[in-house]
Amino acid sequence: MSAASPAGASRFEQLVLPQLDAAYNLARWLTRNASDAEDVVQDACERALKYVGGFHGDEPKAWFLTIVRHAGYDWIKRNRPAELIPDGAEALEGAADIVQPTPEQSAVTQESGAALAEAIAALPLGYREVLILRELEDMSYRDIARVVDIPIGTVMSRLARARALLQRSPLLVAIRERSGGA
Amino acid sequence: MNCHEAMALLPTLSDGELDALQSAAVEKHILGCAPCSAQRDALAALRLRIRSEAPYYTAPETLQARIRATIARTPATGIPVRPPRERWRWLSAGAFAGSAATVVAWFLGSAVLDWRVSSDLDTEAVADHTRATLSQRLTDVSSSDRHTVKPWLSSRLDYSPPVQDFAADGLPLVGGRLDYLGGQPIATLVYRYREHTIDVFVRPLAGSASTPAPTLTTQRGFNVAHAKGAGMEWWGVSDVSADVLSALVARLAHGE
Repeated sequence: MSAASPAGASRFEQLVLPQLDAAYNLARWLTRNASDAEDVVQDACERALKYVGGFHGDEPKAWFLTIVRHAGYDWIKRNRPAELIPDGAEALEGAADIVQPTPEQSAVTQESGAALAEAIAALPLGYREVLILRELEDMSYRDIARVVDIPIGTVMSRLARARALLQRSPLLVAIRERSGGA
Repeated sequence: MNCHEAMALLPTLSDGELDALQSAAVEKHILGCAPCSAQRDALAALRLRIRSEAPYYTAPETLQARIRATIARTPATGIPVRPPRERWRWLSAGAFAGSAATVVAWFLGSAVLDWRVSSDLDTEAVADHTRATLSQRLTDVSSSDRHTVKPWLSSRLDYSPPVQDFAADGLPLVGGRLDYLGGQPIATLVYRYREHTIDVFVRPLAGSASTPAPTLTTQRGFNVAHAKGAGMEWWGVSDVSADVLSALVARLAHGE
């Protein structure tokens, strides 16, 4: 697997280019940075170009996002290895409280949209990715399970945990209190 | 369904990933439960906030240009397909065909089994019906009031069957009875149509496939109408005409 054929290139244009926004959105939420996200998508596209000939499935979006996620994780491994937590619910559980910013840290955040984005960005990687795929990409449990390579039951428990963390995130609670409970 | 069960299923319900049967059960619970109803609203509010406020980052122009440049750089001479890989493809195609055949065989097998089980149950239902009419033990609880029949049945079973009276349409409910079907106790609703007795056997639906349009068969001169709907599985048995029986079972299975 070293180079792609022109036929691969046209298949790539058909299958992958329509998913570019979804790819960038996922990469952006994984890396939490615009230019790093571009690098990840670029890397993912190069990989997809190589493998596109072997793709015979019916879900190009899930297929390509799986590649984007791998590229994203490789980038995180190289640049922010501390963010990678060994798999397992307990490890994620423990991390959940560490990354929760305090209201003081987030006092700079003025408007609620930014607060929400900040609260999602503060979620541990494992929770953040399932939430983004579910709510922003509107993917089914089955497709999320495929992209993240976890069982559907784990998709459900991670989503539940992500939502619970958001619901009691100090960032969002602060906004709610400031806006007078409206 | 209790609060604990409902709470656990709420996210799946709001994600639209719960089957119809479970959805109905959770919705029913929420109607009478303030904490679950509040949690449902909180989940919906959070979803709305995420979808309306969290930024969706679209790929910048520069990135699109970069990707297109990458495609353009793709060498014009493609690498020819390597024979070993081809061989693997055939091998895996063979393996796939083999496993597909297994799956098809399994489906066929279970379909035949389902069909046999359901025709056995038809026979049993007819036997229950004739036993009751011969022994003159038509009902264990005689009442045209569904609010009497339903609690009587649900206190003796681990489920509560929907009970309806169609007296206005000439199909009065005359009572209820307990029978055995497929080795399990089952609720029987007894209706009267002119001089005919109609038994309707009802038990909770296993699985989620709902087919409220009744399937009609005839067993020893009795009509049997079988349907799945309203979360239940229904068998109507009677010597009444097939269209009357079918209409009654369809109404019950549609939960009307």
